[in-house]
Amino acid sequence: MKSYFLSDQNLSAFVEGLMSKYPVIAPVAKRSRFVFDKLVDVSELRLDYDTTILPPKKVFFPAKQDLIHFNKDGFTSAIDPQEQVLLGAHPHDIKGIAMSDIFYSDREYDNNYMANRKATIIIGSSVQNHYKHAFFGTMNADRGLTGHDAFMTKIEGGYAVDAVTEKGESLVALGAFEDATEAQVAAATEVNRKAEEDCPEKLNGTAAEIREKVRNSFDSPVWDEFAEKCFSCGSCNIVCCTCYCFDVQDEWNVDGASGSRFRLWDACLTTEFSEVTSPGGSENFREDRGERYRHRFMRKAAYLNEQLGGPACTGCGRCSGACTADIANPATVINKILEQ
Amino acid sequence: MAKVKCAWFDFASCEGCQIELTNYGEPFVELLEHVEPVEFREAMSEKTTEPIDVAFIEGSFTREADRRRLEEIRERAGVVVAYGACAASGGVNALKNHTDDYAEEVYGEDAKRPHLDSQKALPISAAIKVDYEIPGCPMDKAEFIRVVEQLVHGTSKVYIPSYPVCVECKRRETVCRYDDGDHCLGPISLAGCGAPCPADGIPCEACRGMVANPNEAAMELVLKENGNLPERWAKDKSRMFTANHRGDA
Repeated sequence: MKSYFLSDQNLSAFVEGLMSKYPVIAPVAKRSRFVFDKLVDVSELRLDYDTTILPPKKVFFPAKQDLIHFNKDGFTSAIDPQEQVLLGAHPHDIKGIAMSDIFYSDREYDNNYMANRKATIIIGSSVQNHYKHAFFGTMNADRGLTGHDAFMTKIEGGYAVDAVTEKGESLVALGAFEDATEAQVAAATEVNRKAEEDCPEKLNGTAAEIREKVRNSFDSPVWDEFAEKCFSCGSCNIVCCTCYCFDVQDEWNVDGASGSRFRLWDACLTTEFSEVTSPGGSENFREDRGERYRHRFMRKAAYLNEQLGGPACTGCGRCSGACTADIANPATVINKILEQ
Repeated sequence: MAKVKCAWFDFASCEGCQIELTNYGEPFVELLEHVEPVEFREAMSEKTTEPIDVAFIEGSFTREADRRRLEEIRERAGVVVAYGACAASGGVNALKNHTDDYAEEVYGEDAKRPHLDSQKALPISAAIKVDYEIPGCPMDKAEFIRVVEQLVHGTSKVYIPSYPVCVECKRRETVCRYDDGDHCLGPISLAGCGAPCPADGIPCEACRGMVANPNEAAMELVLKENGNLPERWAKDKSRMFTANHRGDA
C-alpha cells in the first residue's frame, strides 16, 4: 500500500479525470439528505456528507434489479456489468459492502450481485460530518477495512490517499498526487480514529457478549415493548447496508408471451415477508409485529454474528433515522438487552 | 384467441379512473388487441345488456337503490373487478360515514330531495361478490394493465403488495416527509403505487387504503409528535380515503 497527498485545489481535476474514464457514483445532496448518485458535474460532489438515505450496496444491487428477459423462444440473462467508480464510501459502509460480499458469495455465488460488484472500483473517504444516529465507533470498530481500492482521508490542505490495490494505484495517474509525508499519514490515522471516537451514539459490549445476550433474550418482554410502536413498515430493512433478502417476481408484457423476471429488496419487518402459501390459503410464521421486530435483531446481532464474527451491523445509524416511530436504534435496543 | 369482452360501469365516483385509463395512451391501445370494450361511458356511446367476460366497476355503493343494478351486472359478468379507491374501499365518499348531517351540510334546504338520498359509502364488495380489487385514487394505470393482462391470459392469482408505502419510498430513495418537517400517512398506507406523491414532496394520504393490521395508535402519535399536527387532525387524518378501514368504522 502506498500513501499519497492530493491538495484541495487538485481534487476537482482528479474527479473529472475519473469521470472521463468511468461513470462515477458519489454522494450528492438531495433536499435535506444525501444520496449516492452518478456525478454529472464535479461541483455536485459532497464528500462532507453525513450519510446517504440508501447504502452504497445499491450501486451493485439496485433496489429493483432485472434478472432475466424472456419471450416464447427462451430467456437471456440481464447480467451486464459496466466498469464504474464508487467514490466516497465511508469506512463503515466499506465494512457493510464487505459483509454483503460474503452474503452474496459465501454459500451461494450470486452472480447478479457479484458481476457488478467486481466491475466496481471503490474509493473510500473519511467521515467529515457525523450522522446524528451514527455509532460506528463502537460497532465492529476492530473489523479491518477490506474490499476497497483506495481511501481518501480529509486532512489539513487536502486528502491523504491510500492506494490499496493495483486498481487503486492505477488511478493515481489521473490526478496531481504527491507522495504523502509521514506527518500527513499520521494526521490521517488520527482523523479516522477521532471520527470513531466522536460518534454521537455508543454501543456497549463485545461481539461475543452481544451474540450471547441477544440470543438468550428470545423470550424477553422487551421485544413487544419496543414493537408496540412498530409500523412493520420495513424502512429499517430497506435502508440497511447489511440486509440482503430479496423478492423475485415476474412481469409479463401485455402480449402474455414475453416479459422479465426481477428482484426487489425485501423487508422481514413486513407481514408478507413471512407469509407462505399453505393448503387452503396462506399462513404467517411471524404473525405478530413483536416477532418480526425481534427477528431483525436476532438476525443482525446473534445469527449472522456467528457467520461474520461480529454483528451484521456497521453502526451507520440509517435504520434509526428511517424509523418514524423511533424504535429501530440498534445501540438503544442492544444496550438495553445487555443491561438485563 | 377471441377478444375478452369488457364493460366499464360507474357508481358514486368522479369517473376519474376511466379518464385515467383513456389518458394512458400506448399500453391501453396495446391492451385493446386483447380486449373488446362493449360499454365505456367516458369513451363510447354504445351500451350492452349482453353477457360480458369482465365487468370493471368504479365508484362506491352508497345507495340501496343501486344494489339491483350491481346484482344485474354480477349476474351477466364472468369476472368482476372493483377498481379505484371508491369501489375498493368506499374511498373519499366514506368521509361522511361518521356523520349523520352530511346531506344538510352539503345541500342545505334541498337535502330531503329524493334523488339526493344516500347511505354510508361502502365498497362494491358490500353489495356483490368482487373477484379482484385495484385500489388507488385514481387507480394506478400500470397496475390496472398488469391485472388485466393477468386476467386475459388466465392467471387466477393477482399480486398486489400488502406492505406500506414506506417500502416504496425507501426503495426509490425519497427523502422522508418527516425528515422535511412534514407529516405523512405512509407507514400505514398500502403500497403498490410506487410512492409518487412523497417523491413530489406531497404527504401520502393513503388513497389505496390501509395495510392489514395498521398501527393506528402509533400513527396518531407520530402525526402529533413528529408531524406537529394538532390532536384532532392527527385523529381524523386517515378519514380522507380510509374511513372504512379505521378501527372506529
